[in-house]
Amino acid sequence: MECPRCDSENTRTMVKSPVGDVWEVYVCEDCWYSWRSTETPVVIEKFKLTPAIIATLGVIPPIPPLDL
Amino acid sequence: MAKVYKDLREFLATLEEEGQLVRIKEEVNPEPDIGAAGRAASSMPNGPAVLFENITGYKGSVVTNVHGSWQNHALMMGMPKDTPTKEQFEELNARWDKYPVPPNVVSREEAPCKENVITENINLFEVLPLYRINEQDGGFFISKASVISGDPEALDDFGRQNVGTYRIQVKDKDRIGIQALPMHDLAVQLEKAERKNEPLPVAIALGNSPLVTFMASTPVGYSQNEYEFVGALQDGVPTDIVPADTAPHLMVPAGAEVVLEGYIIPRVRVVEGPFGEFPGSYSGSRLQCEIQITRITHRTDPIFENLYLGMPWTEIDYLMALNTSVPLYKQIKESFPEVVAVNAMYTHGIGVIISTKCRYGGYGKGVAMRLLSTPHGMPYSKIVIVVDEFVDPFNLEQVMWALTTRVLPHKDVTMIENAPGMPLDPSSNPAGMTTKLIIDATTPVAPEPNPRAVELLKDPVGTAKYTEVIKGLMQAMGDK
Repeated sequence: MECPRCDSENTRTMVKSPVGDVWEVYVCEDCWYSWRSTETPVVIEKFKLTPAIIATLGVIPPIPPLDL
Repeated sequence: MAKVYKDLREFLATLEEEGQLVRIKEEVNPEPDIGAAGRAASSMPNGPAVLFENITGYKGSVVTNVHGSWQNHALMMGMPKDTPTKEQFEELNARWDKYPVPPNVVSREEAPCKENVITENINLFEVLPLYRINEQDGGFFISKASVISGDPEALDDFGRQNVGTYRIQVKDKDRIGIQALPMHDLAVQLEKAERKNEPLPVAIALGNSPLVTFMASTPVGYSQNEYEFVGALQDGVPTDIVPADTAPHLMVPAGAEVVLEGYIIPRVRVVEGPFGEFPGSYSGSRLQCEIQITRITHRTDPIFENLYLGMPWTEIDYLMALNTSVPLYKQIKESFPEVVAVNAMYTHGIGVIISTKCRYGGYGKGVAMRLLSTPHGMPYSKIVIVVDEFVDPFNLEQVMWALTTRVLPHKDVTMIENAPGMPLDPSSNPAGMTTKLIIDATTPVAPEPNPRAVELLKDPVGTAKYTEVIKGLMQAMGDK
């Protein structure tokens, strides 16, 4: 199953519906996008991710240096 | 004594009695129904809370738009639902001065939030009917949580314990992402923990009494405790709190529907977002903190309270309107007693209108600069309009009158470049840097010259009498 956002195949089922067997939620372990089987996710181009983009994303908040 | 709600359920009961809560009993899909209802309700003039009782695949219920109208806001304060905004501002101001009202610490047995405990096989979806709020959100977000954290250097300092609202993305059944911007108290505490490579314990309270949620989204000083303000805003009635189970120095609202306990994983940042944010646009993906959930306590049949946020106004705007205005007012009033009111309701105080009497020339501009140096005003406020003391800053028609008839742009409009800004404001560039704009729409006073001083129009004698006469006639027509 391909991630709708970063096209990675590194995806899995996160959870099944607590009542009945009516939906599942999937998650991408590369970009952590998640979606429900009842949705038709359309990630617009602006929000697509690649490993190169992920590597350059801002870090919030910055990680401070360790106290020596 | 104003009506005070012990928990969310008591408030929902009042909203329903007052016609400000509707129930949707039919089965609905998590997407897009719940987000759509939140949008619709907050767009309505008297927008009610919307309670979904049957959501496909889930056990529990969801309530949204609980704070999403001035009527609900007034009821939160225990005031009549038709109370005008400025009167609500004045009442908040009066109650604010009752701070601090120490909270009431109850025993574990007395706390409804401890009715059920989950410590193994934690699955957030079993407890919370999670859903995507806006289409391009990167996952399912918890948008109305009160996050409790302590200062690692002073765990027992109750004043420095923080109760704040932060956006939360569900990353897994037992793991969530959280946004702690550098200007927020949580980030101050996290930095202290991360310097020592230690986890920062947190408790996340969902579905609280309305003034707890309100205070969690109010900018107060770092050493001021939010629960002590809740007691003040409850007109002197203390709020009930109870220690968290895994981190007893953290106090959680005793009546919370759900409490998630865990810790921020130190020195780790993972992709989070996008998320539709309060400025009416998505904030993109960033590498942000994650929380490992280790324990859940919850009331039996918990209600998941969450909010819709989108193009303003939506529910979130009511949670950063008067509670942004009052602290800013208090802070500048202390220095300049001539200030009459502050309206910082626009996009969490990015836009502010100050009403003040001017003691000497240039006073309006000086008052604006004071606002821009307050802890919240410095990073958030970008456009500050100053009007005379007789202009109601909550009445935009009056404010526009002041702008159109008091402002001579070449001397009354000032820009301060390269100043701190709110990173989520998409006009800040780079994110977090902006230009401040001050518009002084006050009438010039000496020594500033006012060569074309005018005589303002006054209401004719008898206007008040005729207001009542006309109202009565209209009422009589309506009764027919």
